[in-house]
Amino acid sequence: MRIATAKESYLQDEALFDSRTQRVWAALLGLALIAYPFMANDYWLYLACLVAINVASATGLNILTGYTGLVSLGQAAFMGLGAYTVAVMEHHVGGFFLLNLLAAGVVAMAGGIVVGIPSLRVKGLYLAIVTIAASFLAHFLFVNSGFTGGTGGMTVPPAQVAGVALDTSFRIYWLIVPVTVLMVLGAANLFRTRIGRAFIAIRDRDISAEVLGIPLLRYKLLSFGLSSFYAGVAGGLWAYFFRVVTPESFPLIMSIFFLAAIIVGGMGTILGGILGAIFMTMVPEVLRILVGLLPVSGDTLQFVSPVRTIVFGLLIVGFLIFEPHGLAEVWRRIRRFFHLWPFRN
Amino acid sequence: MSHRYTGLSRFMRRVVAPLGVSLGMALTPAAQAQGDDIVIGGSIPMSGVFAFAGVGIHAGIGDYVKMLNEQGGINGRKVVYVPEDTGYKVDVSVAAFKKITSQNKVNLYYGDSTGFSKTINPELDRKGDILMTGASFATEINDPDKFPAQFLVGPDYTEMFGILLKYIAQETPGATVAFVYSDTEFGRDPIESSRKRAEELGLKVGAEIMTPPGSVDVSTEVLKLRRARPDYTIFHGYVLAPIPEFVAQGRQMGLKSRYMGTFWTMDNSTVMQMGENADGFMGVMPFRYYYDEEKAPMLEKIRAMRPEYQSTAYMQGFMAAMLMTEAVKRTLDEGKELTSKNMKAALQSIRDFDTGGIIGVPISVKGNSVPVGRIYRADYASKKMVPASDWIILD
Repeated sequence: MRIATAKESYLQDEALFDSRTQRVWAALLGLALIAYPFMANDYWLYLACLVAINVASATGLNILTGYTGLVSLGQAAFMGLGAYTVAVMEHHVGGFFLLNLLAAGVVAMAGGIVVGIPSLRVKGLYLAIVTIAASFLAHFLFVNSGFTGGTGGMTVPPAQVAGVALDTSFRIYWLIVPVTVLMVLGAANLFRTRIGRAFIAIRDRDISAEVLGIPLLRYKLLSFGLSSFYAGVAGGLWAYFFRVVTPESFPLIMSIFFLAAIIVGGMGTILGGILGAIFMTMVPEVLRILVGLLPVSGDTLQFVSPVRTIVFGLLIVGFLIFEPHGLAEVWRRIRRFFHLWPFRN
Repeated sequence: MSHRYTGLSRFMRRVVAPLGVSLGMALTPAAQAQGDDIVIGGSIPMSGVFAFAGVGIHAGIGDYVKMLNEQGGINGRKVVYVPEDTGYKVDVSVAAFKKITSQNKVNLYYGDSTGFSKTINPELDRKGDILMTGASFATEINDPDKFPAQFLVGPDYTEMFGILLKYIAQETPGATVAFVYSDTEFGRDPIESSRKRAEELGLKVGAEIMTPPGSVDVSTEVLKLRRARPDYTIFHGYVLAPIPEFVAQGRQMGLKSRYMGTFWTMDNSTVMQMGENADGFMGVMPFRYYYDEEKAPMLEKIRAMRPEYQSTAYMQGFMAAMLMTEAVKRTLDEGKELTSKNMKAALQSIRDFDTGGIIGVPISVKGNSVPVGRIYRADYASKKMVPASDWIILD
């Protein structure tokens, strides 16, 4: 049972993990992430990589939508910018993959800042519609730019480390997961800084934030830029993972997927973005496995398969009705239970 | 104390037990094939936008495998078909591939899209023991050097256009044709190469009209078509919409063009959705229709198994399973190991192969495709597609 966490210095007060219990669990999670590739088969490794990419992108969207209150449906377009940047860099420049990933983030960031300019005048649904335009513009760019391979897209050679190609799920795991962990830690730290607090102030009431001395122009664009940077790096990881980038790889529905992920996970919490991305990626797979366990085969399978989609939809609706604060709140309740366990909470 | 146990048991009941059961079920491997079975894996779109085809493909593969096993399998080895639904999403298709290949020793694979094929081919090359085909007829895949472990069940899209243009050149030499296609990878695929092919055949390409996929309001595009006054209009990159709108508005404007489509538009039920405007709609079809009356022993078997109409996607799945297993049979007959290289070589050795009438002429595999097809025409009175040409084989 944990009664309280006594903080005796400002450093302790500001710490990301403020108790020994948290540090122990974080260390165990780190060890589990290191051990995982040696225990999982190709299928589970593939899913882990896919989840990690989605976590990185959802965390980026959470910075913008969850923390700054700016709704965006352009996350997939920014991922596309990142993915194409990596593909183009690999084809025309070569270079070290981490530099390519950084370039992916920077290009997407630039795109995000441009798309974010209207956020100074419009909010809410109106802003969402503006950001949809990013998807169409990006699609047009990918199809019609001379260097993006047109409708057929581009193949991406595997990232190389000391001559070793990261061309299997096992190998690329060691790129994707550490980068994602760094990005998540970066986002968690961001909200302990002036910038992060400014984002939250803008979300809660932008006029009040301006009165408090927060320049809205700078911080809204910064939020768009950071969010797009995350999407760009996630897109770059996506390109190295799937190794084919086409204009149809990043449809509008993908942006809705990420928005749904942070809503289901819990907006405005780092954990929410992580849990939401895990939920949205893994639940259809878990449902697939459950359907696979049913004693059905042949023609029956074609009737059972769409049921997965229905159940997935119902689960999302169920979460929104019964736990509008998302999975992060469920997690908090579980933690609270153990804080006071064995006494009733 | 009672509180303590009540709280704990409530937590166990609400959180730990369901989580444990779910995880336990999730980590339990699905039923696996036996050691020497030949395994066909499949990323099949049984839900999502492509489900109309996926359901037929699934049934077609399943039926051929069942038929083959009833005849003793391949050299006494049972064939097992392991499908997974993909919802026609590339990342889900890849997950299905990983799941199936992690749990089974897969020899053959059916993929659901061009995107999936392009994504998974580097892995096929690395694995070296899987031969793949799928729902894609993309021209890009018809390249044995770039896609050595893959083949197409029929002609690629450029070849489909080639068959249509060859028919047009024979029927109406010097005719004007229009290409109407969707602004997608699928839609743009054969346009550039077919423009050249049309010129070679002495045809004039009067208009090239690109529309968004599935668009509804095409009035402006129909006006462009009317200005070009083509003798033939070929649609590609759509399943149905906006083809009915083009045909209906074109006819209202007195356009005398003959309208044509490619494989995914040409299922009987799809064409007949146009209503009376379907009458006379033509297109290329690599396989016979379910109800064709010409002699076809394999079609008779299918009709005996399934008395109700089966789609062209069913035929595609059926033929995919037939060609994949034929490649395995030839490889085993030669006493070779089931590697993708050996299976592909065996597949490419197929010359004048009798498909039991699913395709009306003996077929040969050329490159990664089977460049053969026939022009069918819609007869709305009988609600059937009827042959409008003999089988056309491209060189």
